Amino acid sequence: MREFHEYNPIAVAVYYLCVTAVTMFTMNPIIIGISLVASILNYALYAKGGVKPHLFSLILFVILAAVNPLVNHNGMTVLFYLNDRPITAEAAIYGAVAAGMTVAALYWLRAFSKAMTSDKLLYLFGRLSPKLSLILSMAIRYVELLRVRWRKIQSSQRALGLYDDGNLIDAVRGRARVLSILITWALENGIITAETMDARGYGTGRRTSFKLYHIRMRDIAIIAVCAAAATIEIVGLNAAAIEWYPIIEMKLFEPVSIIGYTGFGILAILPVIINTKEAIRWRYLRSAS
Amino acid sequence: MAVFTLRKLSFSYPNSDHKALDKVNIAVDQGEFITLVGPTGSGKSTLLRLLKPELMQNDEMTGEILFHEKPINALDARESAAKIGYVAQHPEEQIVTDKVWHELAFTLENLGQKQAEIARRVAETAAYFGIAPWYRKRTSELSGGQKQLLNLAAVMVAEPEVLILDEPTAQLDPIEAARFVDTLYKLNRETGVTVIISEHRAEELLPLCDRMIVLDQGKVVCDDAPRVIAQKIDRNSPYLPYLTAAARVFIQSGSQGTCPLSVREGRQFFKQTAVSKETTISQAQAESTTAALELKDVFFRYEKDGADILNGLSMTVNEGEIFAVLGANGCGKSTAAAVMAGVRKPYSGKVKLFGKALREYKNGTLYQGNLSMLPQDVESVFLRATVREELKGCEAVIEKLPFDLSPLYDRHPYDLSGGERQLAALCKALKNQPRVLILDEPSKGLDPDSKERLGELLRALKADGMTIVLISHDIEFAAGCADRCALFFDGGIAACEDTADFMNGNRYYTTAVSRMTRGICRNIYTVDAAAVMIGGGRS
Repeated sequence: MREFHEYNPIAVAVYYLCVTAVTMFTMNPIIIGISLVASILNYALYAKGGVKPHLFSLILFVILAAVNPLVNHNGMTVLFYLNDRPITAEAAIYGAVAAGMTVAALYWLRAFSKAMTSDKLLYLFGRLSPKLSLILSMAIRYVELLRVRWRKIQSSQRALGLYDDGNLIDAVRGRARVLSILITWALENGIITAETMDARGYGTGRRTSFKLYHIRMRDIAIIAVCAAAATIEIVGLNAAAIEWYPIIEMKLFEPVSIIGYTGFGILAILPVIINTKEAIRWRYLRSAS
Repeated sequence: MAVFTLRKLSFSYPNSDHKALDKVNIAVDQGEFITLVGPTGSGKSTLLRLLKPELMQNDEMTGEILFHEKPINALDARESAAKIGYVAQHPEEQIVTDKVWHELAFTLENLGQKQAEIARRVAETAAYFGIAPWYRKRTSELSGGQKQLLNLAAVMVAEPEVLILDEPTAQLDPIEAARFVDTLYKLNRETGVTVIISEHRAEELLPLCDRMIVLDQGKVVCDDAPRVIAQKIDRNSPYLPYLTAAARVFIQSGSQGTCPLSVREGRQFFKQTAVSKETTISQAQAESTTAALELKDVFFRYEKDGADILNGLSMTVNEGEIFAVLGANGCGKSTAAAVMAGVRKPYSGKVKLFGKALREYKNGTLYQGNLSMLPQDVESVFLRATVREELKGCEAVIEKLPFDLSPLYDRHPYDLSGGERQLAALCKALKNQPRVLILDEPSKGLDPDSKERLGELLRALKADGMTIVLISHDIEFAAGCADRCALFFDGGIAACEDTADFMNGNRYYTTAVSRMTRGICRNIYTVDAAAVMIGGGRS
């Protein structure tokens, strides 16, 4: 089963870049609405249970939507007065759309961070520069190593009675000592690591960079779909004009913009479609055998 | 054809007046499996590093090193990286990248190989070494044995002609070490790669290797097939400890005939010579009944949802005894040590020191004169730039030591050899005059001499009334100094008996001699005892 996040990292990254960018650079309520629904569906593919993140989004949405009408009093349609200040429908609607945009973008980014593991990010960086990707890989390894070491030193110093959490000064001194050992140790290790790198031919000439991911036809297809959809968006959104203040004037349903909405709608639920299709196919294959 | 030819090779380090290597002549043939042994400081590492041009500036060298009849310095950098593989002692520090697959590809990336070629060789190598199941794992998740196997595989991926290994199994437990040596032997037989390995642990290597070279003070002392060398060495030779248990019993007992090397040959030898004598071991231990350290139904886990590392651990260490907890690496022994020392708190169960729960020792009194622990990585103990500053306040301890540490005073703790480092760290652990001392793998990576000295020190401390808990995977070391042994398995103690009963009761997890004598003669589990039984013993 090849779920969407298992596509080539480049395709996945391009996809998330497209949907997030389109969401963030428009205030078109139709697009925002599609994006919000699709991003929640898409996030649900990765989130295993739990309503906490959704609850957080809801609270965020309410706060963001409320802030605009409270501070912005433009608009002709007055709903009511609060402390002698008019609260207008225009500002309220604008606030809701802006809040929807923020929440949707947040959902896209959350899904992106779940889909892109450190491995995939490194692969992306490696495409840009093989050297950078090696340095990052080594850095990740070293951070892990140092974390383990930190704990080891702390417990061994404690068991020798050289470390006392009894009072603050002692605790600070103890930590400083642990840090000093950690650095000496790391430098000492650095020599051994540098030697093995030399022994294994590092710096003998041009390096290549081994890639674990292959680009397949469907990855190229995804990138093509993204590019096409993004182009349609730009054209379609230009056709739809929105005036917010003093009174909302929208020309949302020009023929070109409808094509734009459809294109974005398909793009936004693409991962859901792909995963559902794969799940059905998997079931079919299993029951057939 | 000779792969390496060393002619009159001498070498000394800058700022040092003695020669690290002194007129060494060695010819290494293609496909040979050579074991290099010798005491610490004999020049083993220097010799091996000189064979790998990237590691050693060889300006100070006289004589010559030829690789395939050509001077080694004439070798192109890429050729040298690919053709001469090198694996060092520390599994952890040799790993460069964060993922197993990247580590395997690293050498080939450096050599500028194409994607398709790297993919093929990495796949082949991963399959051959059995790495496939953890191919996509993080390198930090691997065990010590897996890390070292990965280091070997990452070198073999470049298809070297020669493999140079500097004490590669020193940090591994006996089971991991045996597996590593088996892999080397298989590589040597199936691919014809030449292997040159230095090692303290001869037990597994000697029966397999073609040639053994003994180095002492920079000179080649013996260079022959292991059996031939064993046949020549007498019982007073300083090189005796480098032979296998079977060979040592043979030599120490003054036997005649063909010298046995492996455990299997040792059994044959015992069958022929040992008259089924009943040997009773003098139970000379102090019959103390006061409990020094007591653990009762201790449960411990690192994370809330994690698995139990200690699973109802119960044990009692009596006052004035050396108590050994034995078990494989990664089974939770070190965690048990941390719980005993009060560094980690169990979520259920009791830990008592002299009848008082650990947490009732307030304001650091626990570590002031009651308990002390020496961790596995002694590097984590040192804080200062010289040994002298490090051991300040330990004068009382140093005075009582059966040997002299003063020559080391002006050196940096990290520059000491493994054995010296261990002793210096031990002094530090003894500073507060603890009544109970917990040692985590103190014999790891030590040469036979240092182990002997350490054992001597532990016995001396015990004679002074100290209680010692020895956490170790080194069965031979425990057999030599512990009063009681416990087998740690699955988060608890699976067996706990007097050392003699323990060694004789176990089939696999016991000393080499015990494996040889099992079913032939009873209660013999050390080389010395076996030699005495067979004839005369050490005179």
